[in-house]
Amino acid sequence: MDELAGGGGSGPGMAAPPRQQQGPGGNLGLSPGGNGAAGGGGPPASEGAGPAAGPELSRPQQYTIPGILHYIQHEWARFEMERAHWEVERAELQARIAFLQGERKGQENLKKDLVRRIKMLEYALKQERAKYHKLKYGTELNQGDLKMPTFESEETKDTEAPTAPQNSQLMWKQGRQLLRQYLQEVGYTDTILDVRSQRVRSLLGLSNSEPNGSVETKNLEQILNGGESPKQKGQEIKRSSGDVLETFNFLENADDSDEEEENDMIEGIPEGKDKHRINKHKIGNEGLAADLTDDPDTEEALKEFDFLVTAEDGEGAGEARSSGDGTEWGANRTKLYDMIADLGDDELPHIPSGIINQSRSASTRMTDHEGARAEEAEPITFPSGGGKSFIMGSDDVLLSVLGLGDLADLTVTNDADYSYDLPANKDAFRKTWNPKYTLRSHFDGVRALAFHPVEPVLVTASEDHTLKLWNLQKTVPAKKSASLDVEPIYTFRAHIGPVLSLAISSNGEQCFSGGIDATIQWWNMPSPTVDPYDTYEPNVLAGTLVGHTDAVWGLAYSGIKNQLLSCSADGTVRLWNPQEKLPCICTYNGDKKHGIPTSVDFIGCDPAHMVTSFNTGSAVIYDLETSQSLVILSSQVDSGLQSNNHINRVVSHPTLPVTITAHEDRHIKFFDNKTGKMIHSMVAHLDAVTSLAVDPNGIYLMSGSHDCSIRLWNLDSKTCVQEITAHRKKLDESIYDVAFHPSKAYIASAGADALAKVFV
Amino acid sequence: MVTVEGTAVLRQNRLGTKAQDFCNWPDESLRKWDSTLVVQQHIQQNVRAGCSNIDKILEPPEGQDETEHLKQFCLELNGLEVKLQSECHPDTYTQMTAREQWICLCCPAIDYNRHTFDGAQYFPGKISIKESSVAKLGSACHRIYIIFSHAYFHHWQFFDEYENVTFLCHRFTNFVLKYNLMSKDNLSAPILEEEAQNSVSRESEA
Repeated sequence: MDELAGGGGSGPGMAAPPRQQQGPGGNLGLSPGGNGAAGGGGPPASEGAGPAAGPELSRPQQYTIPGILHYIQHEWARFEMERAHWEVERAELQARIAFLQGERKGQENLKKDLVRRIKMLEYALKQERAKYHKLKYGTELNQGDLKMPTFESEETKDTEAPTAPQNSQLMWKQGRQLLRQYLQEVGYTDTILDVRSQRVRSLLGLSNSEPNGSVETKNLEQILNGGESPKQKGQEIKRSSGDVLETFNFLENADDSDEEEENDMIEGIPEGKDKHRINKHKIGNEGLAADLTDDPDTEEALKEFDFLVTAEDGEGAGEARSSGDGTEWGANRTKLYDMIADLGDDELPHIPSGIINQSRSASTRMTDHEGARAEEAEPITFPSGGGKSFIMGSDDVLLSVLGLGDLADLTVTNDADYSYDLPANKDAFRKTWNPKYTLRSHFDGVRALAFHPVEPVLVTASEDHTLKLWNLQKTVPAKKSASLDVEPIYTFRAHIGPVLSLAISSNGEQCFSGGIDATIQWWNMPSPTVDPYDTYEPNVLAGTLVGHTDAVWGLAYSGIKNQLLSCSADGTVRLWNPQEKLPCICTYNGDKKHGIPTSVDFIGCDPAHMVTSFNTGSAVIYDLETSQSLVILSSQVDSGLQSNNHINRVVSHPTLPVTITAHEDRHIKFFDNKTGKMIHSMVAHLDAVTSLAVDPNGIYLMSGSHDCSIRLWNLDSKTCVQEITAHRKKLDESIYDVAFHPSKAYIASAGADALAKVFV
Repeated sequence: MVTVEGTAVLRQNRLGTKAQDFCNWPDESLRKWDSTLVVQQHIQQNVRAGCSNIDKILEPPEGQDETEHLKQFCLELNGLEVKLQSECHPDTYTQMTAREQWICLCCPAIDYNRHTFDGAQYFPGKISIKESSVAKLGSACHRIYIIFSHAYFHHWQFFDEYENVTFLCHRFTNFVLKYNLMSKDNLSAPILEEEAQNSVSRESEA
């Protein structure tokens, strides 16, 4: 109604001519008599009131003035409302158009850069080939047109022409300014540039006070070319450390003198764009840098080199003239590997080899990588050792060249084709997990943890009697390690004694915790943006579920039925519906027939069933409604050591009728839900396996153990794809719990050392 | 749960362990543990052995770290905090008060408690103690003393109940005096005066 009122208020003010007559007539009813109103209603009938006039005319001539007025008012209000809707829609569409235009512009720029880059590289390659050929055979290689590729603002190379350096100087300065601007946009401040160039200079043993860029250039070139004539260097584009350093130089010295070669400038621009990309992936590189040397500046500088060299190798193969859209970063990794294998056959190795002989010590590291990259191993293993974003970064550049299609044919429409591949393939890329966050605030071992279903938020339960809520977006700089420290945003206190188990509801608004005090506390989760120093809210504790008579070791929540399962050292498994007055719906195993239950889970493909594991080594599938045990999953081990049959954890696969158990005897076993037979058994760790988690897609299994390691397994092949060492031992225990995030790419582990770690 | 395999004792609390059997393994000398969490393990072991045996608990092992004791205090004080949560309403106790003149204006009493316990996480790492942390320890001890004091004066039933079971305040007083983390002037509450006198007299006797 407000809308209508607003529409009414602005009606008379609107400049729509056809409305003018209708407006006052409909709005104020001041028109002189019904005729005036009817007359007013008639003529604008052609405009918006056309459909309104139709029914009006078809009715018999029994109009009443109030009726007409009312009708007109009504119609007019409706039109106003529709108009408002149209305006909103229009605004939305305009915004969308602007956005798409912006995107398109970005893509076009990217495409232009990449085209330029490719041309540069091809030219470089031709140069190198010429040089190589000349060196090898002593004759000139007939390569046809060795002309420097031209770009819109640049001219052909001609060292003799005096005008060329002049213009180039101008363009060079413009280019430099542009690059500075780019870098500043990215946040790459002048100080970093200074620092880097200083560092780099000192690496190469150059003096800092050299104002003349050309002299530096000459020095560098001489060093690198083994004393070749500086004149010739103008002809050659050296994708070596020297040029890269020159990039730093000319970027940093705004009033550097002019005799830098044109080729350097041209190189500089694509190099600068590389920097662009590097900087975007800088964060991911931090962890990588930590591994290299202990000097952060050196690391950064070297890190940049590595990236560029990686890029260079890939792009050198752009000789093949094949390149995809910049967004084709999600392309198949195996295809990439194949292409890199093809690289090995190219003449490309000859480029680095020329440099290897002449490089300085600081560059040897890089060139070692270069040389090694002639084989396949390096570009794949080296980036994969680093952060995920670094992988993507190097993939980006490599793939941009090695992909299919001609870069020159790129249009905006290509984006749509490849964008949907990106998320799917990103998952396929998730081969290695790296530690990212450390959650250190508990005073004693963290017994359980659980992720929020959608937010980057998790809850931990500890033997220090508390639970803590963490938001992974609220990090603080870490003191020691490369990983980020997270601070808790809320502490839940209600248990008396250690908290042993935890479950979060499927909407993420409530969580349940079970403790040694035999109670299950039911909490309303505070918002992830809550201030840790807010006043105490007693309504965070929604309730307490009392029923068990001994420590509650396991909890599981089913979103489908909104029910909670708990198992306790008193031998029983209970089903709860927290909302009800008498929340405990059902109790299972009251007679301790199968032993003491240690863990529970709802069956993924049939939520009317649940599985419980026992300390006697068997797991049982129950029907929740009838309380009957349907299937007993036993592993038929001759129990010489009964205690070792203890099952620590049972999880049900989300989609397949498979149950997985983690045993004290270091095994992980897989069972078929229908037959109860063991499908597979494997020794998974060096010590008891304490925890299991299945990823939301059902492809990977994660297991944690008291041997301080977390292992990721591929469920199809049942092979270990990654092992992570995490957590120290307290007494004889190490890792208590592991978890996947239901929708984001996080995994976490909880340890006896009072830490929880999150990996990305 | 104590599992004896050969001669090795496994100090693990396996799932399904009953509450009374929790950490139910024989005590072990500090030297035999090769873990980085030795001090905490030692303190907790002594507390389990007998929480009224204050001297034994406070006796410094090798590589003594006062911060571990403080963390243990904060951990155990959670129990008192839980009791007080229902009792110490922010509306009633809008500011933290310890005794007649002392008042903290920043927040209600219950929040003061929470901030103290949450803040204990910032104590330096478990391995070593640094110079800068000594001041922090002093202020942390002061806060904990305030919490005890508030509970003593305003919620004395809970305080008494809790103290009879855990002897926490006694232990804390002795701890503070033993390691000179707070000056005696600050200990102005009667409970602590009495404790201080007791401990001093005990020392003088010994």
